[in-house]
Amino acid sequence: MTAHINLSQAGVLAKSLAASVTLLEPVARFSLRTGAAGQAKLSAALGLTLPTKVGQRTQAGQTEVLCLGPDEWMLHTSESLAGTILQACESVYADAPHSLTEISDREVTVRIEGPKASELLTLGCPRDLDKLPVGEARRTVFDGATIILWRDAAETYRIDVWRSFAPHLISLLQTGCGELAAE
Amino acid sequence: MTNFRVPGRGRVQHGKPVTFTFDSKTFRGLEGDTVASALLANGVHLMGRSFKYHRPRGPVSAGSEEPNALVGTRRGKGQFEPNTRATVQEIWNGLQVNSQNKYPSLKFDIGAVNDRAYMLFSAGFYYKTFMWPKSFWDKVYEPFIRSAAGLGVSPSEPDPDHYASRYLHTDVLVVGAGPAGLAAARSAASAGLRVTLVDENAEAGGTLLSEPQVEINGQPAWTWLASELAELEKLGVRIMTRTTAIGYYHQNMVGLCQKLTDHLKTPDAATPRERLWRVRAGQVILAQGALEKPLVFDGNDRPGVMLAGAAQTYLNRYGVRVGSRAVVATSHDSAWYAAFDLAEAGTFVEAIVDTRQEPRSDLVTEAKRRGITVLAGYTVTGTSGRLRVSSVRVNKVQNGKVLEAETLTCDCLLMCGGWTPSLHLFSHTKGSLQWDPEAQTFLPDRKTEDCQIAGAGRGLWGIEAALTDGRDMGAACAKALGKSPAVASVSVGNDRPGTGVSHTELPTDLNPGKARAFVDYQNDVTAKDLRLAVREGMRSIEHVKRYTTNGMATDQGKMSNINGLNIAADALGKPQPQVGLTTFRPPYTPTTFGALAGYHRGDHFEVTRKTPIDGWAEAHGAVFEPVSQWRRAWYFPKPGEDMEEAVSRECRATRASLGIFDASTLGKIEVVGPDAVEFMNRMYTNPWTKLAPGRTRYGLLLGDDGFIRDDGVIGRLTNDRFHITTTTGGAARVLNMMEDYLQTEWPDLKVWLTSTTEQWSTIALNGPNARNLLEPFVEGLDLSDEAFPHMSIAECTVAGFPSRLFRVSFTGELGFEVNVPARYGRALWEKLFEAGQKYDICPYGTETMHVLRAEKGYIIVGQDTDGTVTPYDAGQGWAVGKTKPDFVGKRGLARPDLAAEGRKQLVGLLTKDGKTKLEEGAQIVFDPNQPIPMKMVGHVTSSYHSVAAGRPIAMALVEGGYSRMGETVYIPMPFGTVEATITGTVFYDPEGERLKL
Repeated sequence: MTAHINLSQAGVLAKSLAASVTLLEPVARFSLRTGAAGQAKLSAALGLTLPTKVGQRTQAGQTEVLCLGPDEWMLHTSESLAGTILQACESVYADAPHSLTEISDREVTVRIEGPKASELLTLGCPRDLDKLPVGEARRTVFDGATIILWRDAAETYRIDVWRSFAPHLISLLQTGCGELAAE
Repeated sequence: MTNFRVPGRGRVQHGKPVTFTFDSKTFRGLEGDTVASALLANGVHLMGRSFKYHRPRGPVSAGSEEPNALVGTRRGKGQFEPNTRATVQEIWNGLQVNSQNKYPSLKFDIGAVNDRAYMLFSAGFYYKTFMWPKSFWDKVYEPFIRSAAGLGVSPSEPDPDHYASRYLHTDVLVVGAGPAGLAAARSAASAGLRVTLVDENAEAGGTLLSEPQVEINGQPAWTWLASELAELEKLGVRIMTRTTAIGYYHQNMVGLCQKLTDHLKTPDAATPRERLWRVRAGQVILAQGALEKPLVFDGNDRPGVMLAGAAQTYLNRYGVRVGSRAVVATSHDSAWYAAFDLAEAGTFVEAIVDTRQEPRSDLVTEAKRRGITVLAGYTVTGTSGRLRVSSVRVNKVQNGKVLEAETLTCDCLLMCGGWTPSLHLFSHTKGSLQWDPEAQTFLPDRKTEDCQIAGAGRGLWGIEAALTDGRDMGAACAKALGKSPAVASVSVGNDRPGTGVSHTELPTDLNPGKARAFVDYQNDVTAKDLRLAVREGMRSIEHVKRYTTNGMATDQGKMSNINGLNIAADALGKPQPQVGLTTFRPPYTPTTFGALAGYHRGDHFEVTRKTPIDGWAEAHGAVFEPVSQWRRAWYFPKPGEDMEEAVSRECRATRASLGIFDASTLGKIEVVGPDAVEFMNRMYTNPWTKLAPGRTRYGLLLGDDGFIRDDGVIGRLTNDRFHITTTTGGAARVLNMMEDYLQTEWPDLKVWLTSTTEQWSTIALNGPNARNLLEPFVEGLDLSDEAFPHMSIAECTVAGFPSRLFRVSFTGELGFEVNVPARYGRALWEKLFEAGQKYDICPYGTETMHVLRAEKGYIIVGQDTDGTVTPYDAGQGWAVGKTKPDFVGKRGLARPDLAAEGRKQLVGLLTKDGKTKLEEGAQIVFDPNQPIPMKMVGHVTSSYHSVAAGRPIAMALVEGGYSRMGETVYIPMPFGTVEATITGTVFYDPEGERLKL
């Protein structure tokens, strides 16, 4: 037996008085990797400043950048801007060698919000969420699956999770929505 | 029915009666009662039979340490639980409770013959009795022991309850909500810290619930308790009752088990039965208190014999007198107060028997004022009464001599042998203990974790001492976390401080060899057993424990360990620290498997990764198999087909026309950067420099040791960008290995790795009609053999979807692998399947894929290799770039034993009869007539029925196989020896013509 979730249909997956879980529309995602030398040129090409502290985020227009490691960033942007990002980075490749790899379909994103959103995450995430400031994000795990956890407001989060792990993760969030509402 | 309830007394709801059944008889209790307190209120002490001797037993305690009153509870269908502690389980209307270990009834039990034969069942009984003859072990002894072992009956139905778990981070975790814990939580919380306070009982308060006479800061204990709890809640303290800290693990990780519904008649369906909390605490305060020790004397286990502190709890917390005529036997001051409380509630106290020659004079005066007889300097030498104690035998001890016996009539005997600090959780941390010779007990010493031990848990006695210590320990934790807490003063009235002495077995005038003086009630271990163990050569307490089973029951020796140690040390003539204390291990109290499993059952048992095409396969009747975390379509049976028939059909259809296969689980890694080709040269055995963009190559990955780790087809998209594929199971491992080399060995390389496994859905088309199907869908690419030959890669669109198209084959047929962004995988598959109908397109699963590749001699890493196989052993020497300066595994391959002749080499095997399919894993010998044990020279790695070859085929690793072509080998099987001929590994189209269509 195994959990089934339709990942091609964005929308509400679970909702209770405690929290709601929503599968978001697809976005363009890129993994950007570069050494210290290339960061300034890539920042200029992208029209933003790549954050340098792990967990920090920057937003410029529709493009969001999260620092995941000393040489690693996650970019989210609207699908219509994907080509622009590719070209911008390509234009500085010779001077700022890097890897820009599209992973738009590698993962899906669910939003978790509601009065007990933080509590809901404690069902599967071993991190201390009090130490995740609003406006930052972390690569962490949820019930055994690697995720990126974005804190957008005190009780609003996004989880990026690899597509094949999503049904497992979502099924626990659904269970949790009911469990927390019954408390 | 006698009523022992004291009107208006205790914390039970006198206006709210509750009915439940015990052994099918209906009893009435009150809301707030446990099974034990409710039965005691009805005058019932007999609640079970002991494990070995089937002796009648009643509750000896009032808490989770209970070894005797273990019952079966049933809350509904499938909701049966054996060995529930009657002293913990709360009652509700309709709860069904049954006694255990009795036949035919609790009051008349046949198994009690063991009790008459008790001289036979001595320590080491099993070791001595079940030794000979050896042949008896399997058929007689083991079944007998198994049926006798264990108390209660295992549940036989699926558990309909559900269980939960959470993580919790807290600055300070306080275990135990007695006075010390409450005060500690207050200190820490008022310093502004996140505080969590847990208690295993239904309500917070600990000792205060049993000592309402105390006044704290001028308030009666229970008034103070209520306002203090309200205050803690206001300060944001998370208070969790019915929550047991079951284990204390590394770096202040504490496991909590919270019982949520066992006390409810109709719980909310969404509420789990239990929740496991994984708590990470900045500081931990252990305020678990102390456990009362029984006195060890003949007949100390009869129903009605219980701990004095327990009697006090039953009276003050539950409003129940445990009897109407009590004898109190003690070596500690605390039991005197229990006697006074009971006397005040109307129980006649026959006598207070104190082992000490001169008990505290104020206590003696108080007893005399109440008209209670005091027998100081006495010992207890026996009890009588079949199902309930009816009298107790006591003797004066003078100058070490036990004088004449006196008999005291009673219906309950309340004993106290002192108090043992509860060191279980501290012991989990491997903190060291120090023997306190004065208190005759172990106390916490050196700590290994950021924790404090407060109150009775470190040997302090009295409410004021506990409150003060808790307050200070809470403040100490706050300071350790960088806060400066305010510390208030505490004043306590009507406190009951006290001291006591510790004993081994009480002295007796009777034959001590015949005394049934129990140390471990649950496992029926007596003082005599412990002394026998020492006489028979056990020296360490660990050996004594295993030989006698003392402390090995589900109560983990909460009552028995210290008495056991004292007796063993006495028998050995050594001080206790030299004999040692056994190690307590988690869980603190028995914990359900459900709580530990949490959400991981049924649909959520474990992560099952599925491809975007999985739903199509399921809808088309696929049978699945697990491959690492994935589930993959194994084969697609048509109605009436078995696996072999389905696979044969799939193989035939693919070779004849066209097969379609979901290869999405293949691992994929994108390698990008100016140094990408250099990285590839170092990582893989193959040379990559001359591989042109648009071309692909089979890549072989070794470990440092030179053995094959992974393989896959790798495409070069541009000069600086490679698309690696890995095995399904190897994807994560390979990426980790590559990152490891990159970060630790070659940080200078400008190249970066990204997992793209799940970015792409991969559809493999194989068969002579593969191009015919695909061509009309492809835009931006000439698919002809000249323009896009075997081992090519290109970016194009397929059915309008952006695609990375490989021309590659794992079947030996003309083949393509179409990679499209994962969201389009299912849609593309459906389009291809529909258009493929005119080619009789056949979806196939992993089994057919395995057969088709075996017919071509393509290896599967992990099946035809096992971590000891080099490229040369596997016939893949051609993939090793011999002129390359270096690659991972190059030096390993040069080791003499890896370069030696006659290693096990991968060859083909054809059974001589042309019919027998070999078993994968079967061992191979050269000479079937040699004596057993035969020399095994290899094993079968792959074996299938091959439609293309028209016979079974196999691959095997055989010693010196390459030089044995055409020779016969033998495979001994249970049904007979199979003969097979060694061949090459390619069974079909050896020239590879079919790839070139």
